[in-house]
Amino acid sequence: MEIVLTNDLEKVKEFLKEFDLSLDDDVDLTLVAVEDDKIIGTCSAAKNIIKGFAVSKDYQSEGVASKLLTKIQNILFDKGIYETFIFTKPENKSIFEGLGYRFVEGNSDVALLEGGAANVQKYVRDMFLKSDLDDGEKAALVMNCNPFTLGHKYLIETAAKENERVVVFIVEENKSLFPFDVRLELVKKGVKDLKNVTVIPGGKYIISSATFPSYFLRKEDDRLRAYTRLDAAIFGRYIAKEFNIKRRYVGTEPYCPVTNAYNNALMDILPNFGIEVKIVERLMKDNVAVSASFVRNLIKQGKLEDTKKFVPESTYEFLISKEAEDIIEKIKRSDSPH
Amino acid sequence: MKIVKPAKAGTMESNDIYIMVYPNEKGNEIQLDSIVLKQFGKQIEKIIIDTLKELDVENALVVAKDRGALDYTIKARVETAIKRALE
Repeated sequence: MEIVLTNDLEKVKEFLKEFDLSLDDDVDLTLVAVEDDKIIGTCSAAKNIIKGFAVSKDYQSEGVASKLLTKIQNILFDKGIYETFIFTKPENKSIFEGLGYRFVEGNSDVALLEGGAANVQKYVRDMFLKSDLDDGEKAALVMNCNPFTLGHKYLIETAAKENERVVVFIVEENKSLFPFDVRLELVKKGVKDLKNVTVIPGGKYIISSATFPSYFLRKEDDRLRAYTRLDAAIFGRYIAKEFNIKRRYVGTEPYCPVTNAYNNALMDILPNFGIEVKIVERLMKDNVAVSASFVRNLIKQGKLEDTKKFVPESTYEFLISKEAEDIIEKIKRSDSPH
Repeated sequence: MKIVKPAKAGTMESNDIYIMVYPNEKGNEIQLDSIVLKQFGKQIEKIIIDTLKELDVENALVVAKDRGALDYTIKARVETAIKRALE
């Protein structure tokens, strides 16, 4: 048996069919285990996510899986990817645990495991230490703020009034039109006057699209449900525990079905971890619910000045600055939902 | 000796151990997963720590995925990974 890189993805897809698996389009490398010119096992990687993993029934428990995993780990390691993740069906969890992967979180649809140097507990502890927060009870918000609007500010202010200490996590994944460092900076500036509010990066374990379970969930709805519930449970088990978070605030969601599903998952899961979920009615202005997508739409239509009513001064100043020119051009050309 | 870059040694196959070494600001640190953690976790950690000491290494994060390796295998894998991490 030998293990080799392959470009013949059609053959791999054919092989995966036996296991009711498909191969995602985003994989950037694929390995096959071959014996007598026949594929007996495969696995792929998309950035730091290992996926499309399967070994023929006839060859299971013969070390094919461990050879495949070693090889793919080695390749990723040499590429400078030191932390890896595996999404799998819950019933396969123990197979990967036996191969050195650590269970992070799971539900009836999906289990997330991590390998290499990835270590959720250590990562979250470092996040907490870096934040300079004390161990008193806190309320939390997780926001993308693409860009920071008066709607976001209102939500944070509400939490700040009702709690002694508030921590705001800004989604770090850089898939939004406004880059992460700009989003973070605008929130920090926008809530400067709220003394009991701390704004920090959300890190790798809060809404990171790199860790999206995909290939084994058929329906889009199932996928969304599994992902949002996983994210909520990771927040409850690790982040809320380390930061001593007792409440999480979310805004009502009139437009976006994904955010709506996410809110539902939070309400379902977080109370199991002793966290209260508070839903705050969105801020209305001129009969519209103030949201970042609404602001981006104004920008898209070339009505930059109209955004003034819906964003804090600091955000507006940024929007009309030279620094924002490229972003605004991008928004005008983009059809992205975020 | 000073760890200057990430390096690895070993495999995830049965009776072996996969060692990854990274530069670490907080002295030596070990993160061990093993199929025999309950029975031999302490002993495996001790072998790793002793090997680091022997090589005079003080800034290593060692991530170890053990699948039942024997003591001298563990020692050899750690030594190899450390040597690769020094260059």
